[in-house]
Amino acid sequence: MATNVQQVAVSKPGASSGSQGNASEYVVRVPNDPLKKYSMIKFASGTDIDFLKLSHGKVKMERENNLRQYKTIYNLDAMPKFGAGSEYGREQKEEARRKKYGINIKKYNPNDQPWLMKVGDGKDCKRYKGVREGTISENTSYYIFTKCADGAFEAFPIEEWYNFQPVVKYKYLNSEEAEEEFSRRDKTMNLFSIMVRKRIKNEEETEEKPEDKKDKKKDKKSLILTDMEDWMETEDEEEEEEEAEEGAEKKPKKEKKEEKTKRRKNAKINADDEAVEESDEGDFDDRELDYISDSGSESSLDEKAKNDKYDDQGVDQEKGLKKLIDSEEESSEEENKEEDEEDEEEEAEKEAQSKKEKKKKKDSKENNKEGGESDSSSSSSDSDDSDIDKNEDKFSSVLFMQEKKRSSRPNTPTVEKLEIKTEPKSEGGIKRKIEAEEGGAEKKVRTESPAPSLKTSASSSSISSSGEITEEAIRHYLTRRPMTAKELVQKFKAKKSQMSNEQLTQKIGQLLKKINPGRKYIKGVMYLSLEKTE
Amino acid sequence: MSQPPEEESARPLRDVDLRAAERGVWLVKVPKYLSEKWKRASGKGEVGKLKIISTKIPGAQPEVTFSMNEAQAQVQVPGRGTATPKEHKFKLTGVGNQNLVVFSENKGEGTTAAEITERIAIEGKVIQRAECQPVVDKSYMQLKKRHVEDSNKPKREIKQITGVVTTYKPVSNHAANIEHEKKIKEGGKRIRDERDVVTNKLFEIFEKHQYYNIQDLVRLTNQPVHPSHYFGGRGRQPLGGGIFAAFPF
Repeated sequence: MATNVQQVAVSKPGASSGSQGNASEYVVRVPNDPLKKYSMIKFASGTDIDFLKLSHGKVKMERENNLRQYKTIYNLDAMPKFGAGSEYGREQKEEARRKKYGINIKKYNPNDQPWLMKVGDGKDCKRYKGVREGTISENTSYYIFTKCADGAFEAFPIEEWYNFQPVVKYKYLNSEEAEEEFSRRDKTMNLFSIMVRKRIKNEEETEEKPEDKKDKKKDKKSLILTDMEDWMETEDEEEEEEEAEEGAEKKPKKEKKEEKTKRRKNAKINADDEAVEESDEGDFDDRELDYISDSGSESSLDEKAKNDKYDDQGVDQEKGLKKLIDSEEESSEEENKEEDEEDEEEEAEKEAQSKKEKKKKKDSKENNKEGGESDSSSSSSDSDDSDIDKNEDKFSSVLFMQEKKRSSRPNTPTVEKLEIKTEPKSEGGIKRKIEAEEGGAEKKVRTESPAPSLKTSASSSSISSSGEITEEAIRHYLTRRPMTAKELVQKFKAKKSQMSNEQLTQKIGQLLKKINPGRKYIKGVMYLSLEKTE
Repeated sequence: MSQPPEEESARPLRDVDLRAAERGVWLVKVPKYLSEKWKRASGKGEVGKLKIISTKIPGAQPEVTFSMNEAQAQVQVPGRGTATPKEHKFKLTGVGNQNLVVFSENKGEGTTAAEITERIAIEGKVIQRAECQPVVDKSYMQLKKRHVEDSNKPKREIKQITGVVTTYKPVSNHAANIEHEKKIKEGGKRIRDERDVVTNKLFEIFEKHQYYNIQDLVRLTNQPVHPSHYFGGRGRQPLGGGIFAAFPF
């Protein structure tokens, strides 16, 4: 074990061998110590470590123990060795089997495992892992020449090279996961929870506090790729603040609407908090000023309306339900055509809004449960009405149809109402009908006209819900869509069950003369409609 | 593969000896033939002399020459000739950006078989890299010539056979068979023990493992067994391995 120190080194400083400089000779020794093994540590470039400068002076090193991993790879320890499930002579059998098939498993060599190094102590220690470098070439070997105390050089061969790298403890994504996140960055996965959160926020929005703003700021995107996204988030936050301020002034309903439109505008750059549909190609093409049609103030509306175009009306919305119910009848086609002719956008808007209103109605006034239902039913019965108008002789059949409809719902009063209505019809004859028609025709035209501004619609909806036969209500109906006089009558009948048929028609007729709606003839039936005045 | 149970847990980190950490060392790349000779250094271990001439020209590296001893040069390396050049030059290069540290493992005299304490020590930091290049002379040329010849030789050779090739001749009774029969004659047949005795033995056996091969049970209990009893009375032995007899727990 002892290195051979017998030979005294001969160092001759100053011995000349040339005129150029000093020459010195040293003896080179290659001690042969079988127990000491030399290895090289190669630190990764940029790793700042210097054993001299260590203040603590504590360095620890140990081999990594990968025996467990080795065993799981080759399934060496999979089955129990004793107790339940164990087998006598399993190991020997496995070994014999491997030999038979010539399966060679690399033996686990603990001296080949990587090194773990820990520099410093306590919390601010740095950990390094040194993996052995494979290729030590066959034709060269590396020696370390060190200068001894006696002036001689000692040469030690280096047997192994290890590449040490600092150990990373934070989580990072590998390439696959990074790609996944990248593809998900614009989508919202937790739509339901976002919408719930949004609704809760909207309820609290009227009493906005600065703390809410802070909360908003906290909701950031998980994967921010560029600075642009970061800036867009701050911009979005500003917008939300603006909206919140405005909302405090106006009624909550309108607030919702405006925010909805504004948010829809910025579909793509919203924070994760907003659930917005992805835009299709061409959705935002009209962001630039359109010189042909009037833009500007209406741009937001058109925008939203455009988005609505792509919305399919499900059965849970009134429009869809109506479509479903009307699909059996002829005039449903008419209705659909009418709707197609009108501005769909406003219609859809109105529908969505009225749906909300109706929901509110339903919640607030239980009495109006009929009203709510009969509203939809009345709209369907509107089509019935047109049937009546067409086929005057087929009262009975229509009656049956209506009764059928009514019987499905527990609306006995309305059934009676209708019966009352149809009876006088058959009795009264055509005159009254014409009168009613005329009056109703005006009304209808009005209902056909597109939706008015939000304010009036809000007010009129409240009015119509109360059941008063006012000019406003009629206007409201007529602007929504063209109606026959009969339909108007029916609508009010549903709400004002006290008045008799005659009184209803009279009053409606008066109001219609006042309003003077436009008249349209569609398939031989006169419809009343009101054009949008704003 | 019966090995002593090995440790699977992570071992605690050992302290590293930092006494020699500030030493500056040279990393020298040495050709194979030279290193082989060095490894066979006899006695004291001295292999040669190192001559360092520091030039006065600024910026130039000092000249380093290694000259081998006579005795060392004569060391016979099996498989190679002794012709090695005597003079080598060290071509010095910088370390560059790398941070190279040398450490050593010192295996203590293993008193206990289980634990071999190794002391890890830092031996120094590399400050200079060098390449040991031979000064080209006649002996070097010869050496290289030999190298080339050796490497070009095919690894497989064709030799002519002189003796007789062993073949397998038919034998009346193989040696292994004879031994087997002898064993049986001596060992005697297996005699049936009492039922209680046998069941007790079986219980003991099954306490160790759950599944046993029939032949193993036979061997362990030393009882006679007739295959037909276990194979549903068909009287034939199935091909392949034996049946597992398992105790339902």
